[in-house]
Amino acid sequence: MSFLAPFFLLAAVAIGAPVVFHLIRRSTKERRVFSSLMFLLPSSPRLSRRSRLEHLLLLLLRCAAIVLLAMGFARPFLKGALPELSKAGAAKRVLVLIDTSASMRRKGLWEMARGRAEDLAREASPVDQLALYTFDRDFKRLVTFEQWGATPPGDRLGLVRSILANTQPGWASTHLDTALIQAAELLGETDKGTTVGLKQVVVITDLQEGSQTRALQGHEWPKDVQVLTDRVLAASPNNAGIQLVAEARDADYLSDSVVRVRVTNAAGSQREQFQAGWSGADGAFIGKPIEVYVPAGQNRVTSIPAPAGSTPADRIILRGDDEPFDNTVYVLPPQKRQTTILYVGNDSATDTRQPLFFLQQAFQPTRGQTIQVTAEPTSRPLTGATIGAAGLVVVTDLLEGGNAAALRGAVFQGKTLLFAPASAAAFTALGRILGLDGLNAEERRLDGYALLGEVDFRHPLFAPFADARFSDFTKIHFWRYRRLEARALAGAEVLARFDTGDPAILQVVLGKGRIIILTAGWNPADGQLALSSKFVPLLYSLLDLGGTSAPPPRQYFVGDTVKLANPGASETVSSPTVVSPDGKQVRLRAGETNFSQTSMPGIYSISSSVSPSHFAVNLEPAESRTASLPSDELDRLGVPAPLAVSVASTPADRAVRLQSADLEARQKLWRWFILAALGVLGLETWLAGRTARHSTVREEVAA
Amino acid sequence: MSLTAAVPTARPASLIDPKSLMSIRNLELRARVVVEGFWSGIHRSPHHGFSVEFSEYRQYAPGDDPRYLDWRVFARSDRYFIKRFEDETNLRCHLLVDCSRSMTFGSLSYTKADYAATLAATLAQFLYLQGDAVGLLTFDERLRDFLPARHRTGQLRSLMLALEKPAAGSSTDVVGALRRATETIRKRGLIVLVSDFLAALGEVQKHLISLSACGHDLILFQVLDPAEATFNFPHSAMFEDAETGRTFFINPGSARTEYLRRLESHCGQLRSLCQHLGMAYSRMSTDRPLELALFDFLRGRMQLRHRVRRVVQHSSRSQL
Repeated sequence: MSFLAPFFLLAAVAIGAPVVFHLIRRSTKERRVFSSLMFLLPSSPRLSRRSRLEHLLLLLLRCAAIVLLAMGFARPFLKGALPELSKAGAAKRVLVLIDTSASMRRKGLWEMARGRAEDLAREASPVDQLALYTFDRDFKRLVTFEQWGATPPGDRLGLVRSILANTQPGWASTHLDTALIQAAELLGETDKGTTVGLKQVVVITDLQEGSQTRALQGHEWPKDVQVLTDRVLAASPNNAGIQLVAEARDADYLSDSVVRVRVTNAAGSQREQFQAGWSGADGAFIGKPIEVYVPAGQNRVTSIPAPAGSTPADRIILRGDDEPFDNTVYVLPPQKRQTTILYVGNDSATDTRQPLFFLQQAFQPTRGQTIQVTAEPTSRPLTGATIGAAGLVVVTDLLEGGNAAALRGAVFQGKTLLFAPASAAAFTALGRILGLDGLNAEERRLDGYALLGEVDFRHPLFAPFADARFSDFTKIHFWRYRRLEARALAGAEVLARFDTGDPAILQVVLGKGRIIILTAGWNPADGQLALSSKFVPLLYSLLDLGGTSAPPPRQYFVGDTVKLANPGASETVSSPTVVSPDGKQVRLRAGETNFSQTSMPGIYSISSSVSPSHFAVNLEPAESRTASLPSDELDRLGVPAPLAVSVASTPADRAVRLQSADLEARQKLWRWFILAALGVLGLETWLAGRTARHSTVREEVAA
Repeated sequence: MSLTAAVPTARPASLIDPKSLMSIRNLELRARVVVEGFWSGIHRSPHHGFSVEFSEYRQYAPGDDPRYLDWRVFARSDRYFIKRFEDETNLRCHLLVDCSRSMTFGSLSYTKADYAATLAATLAQFLYLQGDAVGLLTFDERLRDFLPARHRTGQLRSLMLALEKPAAGSSTDVVGALRRATETIRKRGLIVLVSDFLAALGEVQKHLISLSACGHDLILFQVLDPAEATFNFPHSAMFEDAETGRTFFINPGSARTEYLRRLESHCGQLRSLCQHLGMAYSRMSTDRPLELALFDFLRGRMQLRHRVRRVVQHSSRSQL
């Protein structure tokens, strides 16, 4: 019999305690106060040899309980089964997962991890199957089972070495959960048609506190797949990180003259005093840095004043830390967005009875966005530039000249047009935009009022109102509207109807764009829409439909997908180019708006003909939490982890330990030892009680 | 009032269990319960009028009170005779109660001190009801409380309060208490000494003789716990002297015989001393009903005078 944790056997030394206790004579402890000892003479106590042991059976039982407990904790296993496992010919299938997250950039960790992976490749027998994958936020393949099988056994180590030599840890966060799940699925997939003795996932990782393990909680781990954690430990526990404190989306850092950052210090770190301040590309502080005191295991939020002068500063750096990988945070001031709404109509902006007045009142400037309403009379010809610059076009009247054709072209290109005719006659203009002759509507005045009786909350226009708290439109009364048959418009979708059954809001898709038609305007002569609380959100929903409502965020984490601004109808350049911090240029395909190659922290530039812009990519804050996860964390999450491999052991030792751990986990002999110890303790309790009772009776009889 | 005629011939049919009695917390109430039970026993006695006792006839002389003329004798003999009675005197009784640490021992639910206090309180109540003057002297290694014998309102209450004080002393000084009693109690009377007498008897004897010589009548109650009388402890233990603090390892099985022999010898010495000095002696085990103590008290009181006479005659003969 062998033991996985033989040092627990030292506890068996404790059997000396009961032996000593049994040797000690029990002297009487009873004291009795008596009135007078004048008639008494002292009795001589009973003498017996001190070396004589009493109650031998009890002593043996107590010693046996201690020895059994010690053996149980030492995790025994029968070694006889060990050769069968490796030499019986059943192939072992091992998937090696190497952590390439940013925390593996700490000194010496990657070299250690690479060495471990090479050791595993070296120790694998020819019949074993091995695959090599890396994981951080993504799960990447280095060597597949097929590649391993196709490579002659003598060349396999070389293959692993050459691939690992070209691999470096990245900047992404540690998604241990998805990596383990995918690894288990891979092991399950490759099981078909082959006989596999043991399926293992060996994870070579620093198992840091910031690793993501949430998905493992709900995952049912396959019973035949074991996970061995080969933890690599950094030489020094010191690590501090700096992160930008998440602010409101439209918070203007530079206008407030401060940027708030959080400085975290890993648990167990020996450094506590740091400096934080703005810096340029050269890595030197611009201005005087701020002293930050952070005890180990804690974090502090501090405000960094905006850099004085015109020195370009796009990052805040932290000094005083041993590990530099998380000591830089890139900061960009949020960009204020200018949006124009083109109003085509003959209204006066000061007339409180006309739609334009209410439209101008609805859009107030915010910190992140300024919306300007530009009014153009219907008689003035609209240029392509005027229409193209507008995020939304609003038409309320008959169009003259070639304006209808110009707007039709813009909608085809993707523009959103809101048609809210002031009269039934204005529907002629809609007909011209849509290319429909004879589109007529009937003016309808109501004796009472009409309500919006049927609203399609699934449509993006009404989606913000879908919640029951906001979905009440019954307080908006309409006295007048234009009756338009939806059938007259090919492909028109009714988004809302009056309680009379007539359409109130319709949508017609034309080319890439769309036209939203209101059969009742928002001027007071038509109804109460402009005065209701729904009016402003509805207009912003319209802006959202055109993709121009809110400025995109400019701060991302490594691995995030960046949604670039829609180039719009007037974009003539085919596609933008994104320049990463290391100078690498990525040209997006035509029509592509998502950029996902944010593989490193820094300032990324987007070059386009309209407006060159930037966005900052930073390290995930969780990567700065480099303290070790508890060793039983995976076990707690339901992942069978037999034993973590010791750091300081030779490859041969480690192989033996791995096999021993497998055997021990399978045999679970420790349960029987603990059970036997409990049984012996029960017997001892019974026997001790019986002995005590008998001795009491004897004394009473003797007395 | 004389007590000699108060000896009952029949004991009460049922005696009060001391354990039940001691469960009554109030000492005065305990004493009253015993005495009231005892009264009923006394009144079943055929000797009515215990305070008036015929003594002799004397021929009438001018100046005698004509109320005491015996008219029946005059009818028979035509002579005037005066009927004489024993003179009525108020008894003065002092209770000397031991409150030393050895009295705090008790194998029952109460201690010897509790029993002794109840005994003294019972006697005091009994005497007070008869109109006698009662006093108290409590002692341990020194004199603690002294109440001169009086019969007045509040005397019984003060006496009860003094008896209820917990034992605080360490050792017993019976000799000192007797010396103090000799010095303090000048008028002849009755002295009742309640103690365990677990002390050397040499000096005690001397002071008892002094008290007796002063004309006092003495009654000694030796209060012992049943465990002291039998020494039936089941286990060996370290026995600690309540007064001196000495500690012995004692195996009761082996030490019992010698202990009982020595105890009986000690008690025998005390008994013979009392007989020799004409004093009444009663050994009270704390599991003994207190009414029996009262009987012993009265019996001893009744025979006391005759004994004293015998002792005096014996002494005078020996001197001759």
